[in-house]
Amino acid sequence: MDFDLTDDQHTIRKAVAELAGKFDDQYWMAKDRDHEFPTEFYDALASGGWLGITTPEEYGGHGFGITEASILIEEVAKSGGGMNAASAIHLSIFGMHPVIVHGSDELKQRTLPRIVNGDLHVCFGVTEPGAGLDTTRITTFAKRDGDHYVVNGRKVWISKAMESEKVLLLTRTTKFEDAAKKTDGLTLFLTDLDRDHVDIRPIPKMGRNAVSSNELFIDDLRIPVEDRVGEEGQGFRYILDGLNPERMLVAAEALGLGRVALDRAVRYGNEREVFGRPIGMNQGLQFPLADSLARLDAAELVLRKATWLYDNGKPCAREANTAKYLCADAGFQAADRALQTHGGMGYSEEYNVARYFREARLLKIAPLSQEMVLNYLGSHVLGLPRSY
Amino acid sequence: MRWELSAEQQEFQSVLRDWLARRCPSSRVRAWLDSGDPAEFEQDFAAEGWSAVGSPEALGGQGGDLIELALVAEELGRCAAPSSAWLGSVLAVPVLASTPDVAKELLADNVTTVPVVSCDGPPAGHALVESGHGITGSVRAVLGADRATRLLVPVRNSGFVLVDTESAGVVVRRRQPTDRSRSVADVELAAVQGTAVDAEVGVLADMASRAAVLISADALGVAERLLAMTVEYSLQRKQFGVPIGSFQAVKHAAAEMLVTVEAARSIVYMAAASVQAGHPEAALRAAAAKAQVTARVSALADTALTLHGAIGYTWEHDLQLYFKRAKLTERLFGSPSTWNERIATELALVP
Ligand SMILES: Cc1cc2nc3c(=O)[nH]c(=O)nc-3n(C[C@H](O)[C@H](O)[C@H](O)COP(=O)(O)OP(=O)(O)OC[C@H]3O[C@@H](n4cnc5c(N)ncnc54)[C@H](O)[C@@H]3O)c2cc1C
Repeated sequence: MDFDLTDDQHTIRKAVAELAGKFDDQYWMAKDRDHEFPTEFYDALASGGWLGITTPEEYGGHGFGITEASILIEEVAKSGGGMNAASAIHLSIFGMHPVIVHGSDELKQRTLPRIVNGDLHVCFGVTEPGAGLDTTRITTFAKRDGDHYVVNGRKVWISKAMESEKVLLLTRTTKFEDAAKKTDGLTLFLTDLDRDHVDIRPIPKMGRNAVSSNELFIDDLRIPVEDRVGEEGQGFRYILDGLNPERMLVAAEALGLGRVALDRAVRYGNEREVFGRPIGMNQGLQFPLADSLARLDAAELVLRKATWLYDNGKPCAREANTAKYLCADAGFQAADRALQTHGGMGYSEEYNVARYFREARLLKIAPLSQEMVLNYLGSHVLGLPRSY
Repeated sequence: MRWELSAEQQEFQSVLRDWLARRCPSSRVRAWLDSGDPAEFEQDFAAEGWSAVGSPEALGGQGGDLIELALVAEELGRCAAPSSAWLGSVLAVPVLASTPDVAKELLADNVTTVPVVSCDGPPAGHALVESGHGITGSVRAVLGADRATRLLVPVRNSGFVLVDTESAGVVVRRRQPTDRSRSVADVELAAVQGTAVDAEVGVLADMASRAAVLISADALGVAERLLAMTVEYSLQRKQFGVPIGSFQAVKHAAAEMLVTVEAARSIVYMAAASVQAGHPEAALRAAAAKAQVTARVSALADTALTLHGAIGYTWEHDLQLYFKRAKLTERLFGSPSTWNERIATELALVP
């Protein structure tokens, strides 16, 4: 067993920390407050070549694995950018995976180099009002019309849609009730978010406000066949392929957020004096922070194992789910404790931990709820009967 | 709203507490547990009149009601007294309302009489059958059965039958729970003859609520004792040059124990008063007491053990008596989840 990072991984960690570190608390506080996309940050990562970290070299990327991608996104979150920073680049880092694996060469040539250089913003359109975790229940329908599809339907929560030129859109081409299997009949597109046919409305939400999440009303959106990813009817499988690495990235984001929250709590615990001594001297404060450190470290180990398994082509679903579960939990707990450590100041925006707290809470819900992880572990790993 | 014990009840509690401190110190408790024979305590307790407290005078009791019984249970828990005969008997008393003579023998003459219900779950069900030849069947884990002279046997479709443990066909097999301050036995009956006792419908449901209240009160007493022991120890034990009680984590853990104790007291006496008054939510409140109090006290016992360090893990230290009692109490007459299930069925939830 070898717990060391490779030289490349060390370099990535250091370089990303340095680059992301240029964007200070003030920057993120303002972006979050003003609901403004962090363009400067995004551009800095793009010009540093980081957005193409997992994109194959033939399309201008670096062809690194999910281990490197997770280190990158963890550092980004940990820099204090939190989920605002992570979500700004999340899809560029790994979201194109279904396209890379299943898309036509032409589609890849047309899109991937632009992802790498930062020119092309994409969002991921899966969730619908009537279909949250139960993805196969989506109803947005793509009807074939010559060399086009005509799409109608509604999506919800689509992050970054406001800022995106294209959407990776999951649709049905066979209705649920007509499909032989419920996972059949879904088709994936990478296509333009044509504002004439897609009405995009941001959803007022609790946190991560530098990146919008939106409702999409899709009305006769015409998609050329060339924008289809892979075969018709196979879209659900393509998405599934990317789920484990997606969980790992989310875990890394939660981990980074937990780390920065804990750092801030420690700093404040050392600085703030009440009753004539630093508050961190109280076991009532010190122990929860020490406990969070232990939990973050343990969660990180599972994450490292998961990404290692994936990069080595081994089965990793159990570890990917566990990593997401433990990192989301440890990250939120650390943020909660950081807030508590700051007392009343924790509740103000000034100390940033309130922002981390709001963002960390998200990771227990999306993109996959903690409950669904337990469903997976309960039925697929332990072999208990499926409960739903 | 004013919620407190009356002056009389407080006086009663303190007299009983003093008496138990003298007559039931841990040295004697240990001797009774080691010999497996708590008769000395049982006789002493009855002779002093304590077992008649909380039962109606018409049945040979000294008056008072479930609140007084809860006070007794709390004090018995506080000293880990071998009280199964007492608890079994006071659960039997309401069943004997129609036969005051039998009740008087129980309360005034100390003829220990316990209901033959399993303490594996809430008192319920009539597992035994009466045929032309007598009663036949077996019931596992009956609280105090090995201490009893008479058994009050619930019989399917026909109320209760009073049976002498000496009667032909009665076998009482003692079991040894880890908590040695409780006694439990399996009862087997083969064509046993007895005397029919008329009991009201619902008497078993009422018994369940009363058992829940009294077990929770016992847990409260245990918790108070554990808290007192823990605080005392944390002031006495020194590490790193200071009493361990000066470490904040220890202090906070003890404070949490106090929260458990105070919450338990409120829940227990609220439940006792509700069951006594036949409040429409009496069964719910009793179930809440059993589920909440015994589970929290079981956790409190864990904390007490942690704060005592290795010494609490020894046989020599009295902590083990209370620790084991708290653990059995959690399961006695049904686990918290069983009682929570009862609460859930009473609520308007999705089935
Ligand atoms: C800020 C934000 C950004 C998002 N960005 C995107 C995006 O870019 N693209 C996109 O497609 N989606 C996005 N989502 C949507 C996100 O993926 C969903 O919210 C998530 O999958 C949960 O679905 P839901 O909200 O419909 O919950 P539901 O499916 O309605 O679930 C509600 C609750 O029920 C529980 N539950 C459901 N089924 C079960 C079961 N079988 N067993 C036990 N519990 C169950 C869930 O755990 C949850 O607690 C985003 C959401 C948020 C909040």
